[in-house]
Amino acid sequence: MSPKWTVWLGGVLLAAVIAAALYFPALRRQVDKAKDLTEKTAEQARRELLPVTPVSTGDPMVKVKMFWGSRGQEGELLPVIVELPLSRDPALRAKQVLNTLLAGPVDAESRTLPPDAALLAFYILPDGTAIADFSDEVRTSIPSGIQSEQLAVESILRTLEDNVPQVLRLKILIHGQEADTLAGHVDLTQLFRVNAKDAAGTQLDNPSPPGSKLPAPIRRAVDSMRRATKR
Amino acid sequence: MVLDPAHGGTDQGARGTEGISESDEVLQFATATKRALEAQGFQVILTREGNDNPSFDDRSARANAQRGAVFITMHIASTGLTGTARVYVEPDAPQANNITGLIPWDRAQAPFLSLSRKLGELVQQELSKRFKGSPDTLQTAPVRQLRTTAAPAIAVEISSVAVKERAELDRMVPGVAEAIARGLTDFRPTYVVPSIPVPGGSVQP
Repeated sequence: MSPKWTVWLGGVLLAAVIAAALYFPALRRQVDKAKDLTEKTAEQARRELLPVTPVSTGDPMVKVKMFWGSRGQEGELLPVIVELPLSRDPALRAKQVLNTLLAGPVDAESRTLPPDAALLAFYILPDGTAIADFSDEVRTSIPSGIQSEQLAVESILRTLEDNVPQVLRLKILIHGQEADTLAGHVDLTQLFRVNAKDAAGTQLDNPSPPGSKLPAPIRRAVDSMRRATKR
Repeated sequence: MVLDPAHGGTDQGARGTEGISESDEVLQFATATKRALEAQGFQVILTREGNDNPSFDDRSARANAQRGAVFITMHIASTGLTGTARVYVEPDAPQANNITGLIPWDRAQAPFLSLSRKLGELVQQELSKRFKGSPDTLQTAPVRQLRTTAAPAIAVEISSVAVKERAELDRMVPGVAEAIARGLTDFRPTYVVPSIPVPGGSVQP
């Protein structure tokens, strides 16, 4: 090969290396973006499969108290009156108020729960124990800390206490599973007392009758919860 | 005295500006507090000394294995007024029916709640003297590490990883260490290990 061709070939190879060096970072960004999109699409698809909380136009409009964060008083909740069409069915009513709580206040800084978190399921057992199952975002998107996690749980408990008196105590699950903590701090292994009428506190002495129709993962979580409280 | 720097390993806890992570910063706070306590004559154990992440139960077990221990878990929040510190204790919980004379692991904190409150009040008073804007009173929250600890136990949470620069947190280190050491020194004379009632009316010391 003549020296002239060697120079040409070297030049072409050098240009290819430079082009690749410029192109690969952009390609990597596109691949990462596509991966995010795929994950989001999977999460969206999962949510679309969940039964949508029916909103009956026949439900009466009711003034409800929602407990969001107070802007003036750090770490405190402030009741906000909102008018909603609410079902008379306690489980449906609980879903409606919790979905409103998740949708958040007008003022985004008063949020107590992450905007991308979703309520996946809500059940009330005959003994007044309720189970709320939230999506992973309730754990991954919440600001980590004792105060912020405590405020999130308190806003759920006080909103339920004020609007769904049938709920006496609450178990919080994340994606159908029991979680040790919300985001590393607040303990989710115990039952939370929702209503002052729950004199028995966190004791589960009156198990619901056999045959309560709960999905298998929720059933397993409830069974493990009962075993834990009976120890 | 068992000091628990929260998180560690792959769990970095709260993350803020300048690459601040709760797990790293809280280790710095705990190490300074250990020195301040040792200077007051306390024997101090850290639940972790490096970037590892013991389980919640392992952390509690460090205190439960010592007689007459005190447990303090240390955290840095991602929210709250920067430059402040809050003390938390477990909320009231029903004590388990004691038929064996043993404390159930998952309710280990229940017999120690009044001592935890006393310790928490003393440490919170010292923190609010040093850090303006901190609450004057104790807070309650079901912090996971506290529930399984059979000793006076509190959580101290510092605000926050959202500081403009890391130096703001660094400046808080000596004050937090001093406040905890002072609170614990005041608590020591009042600390009597509670007796556990056993069947037959006797007590297990």
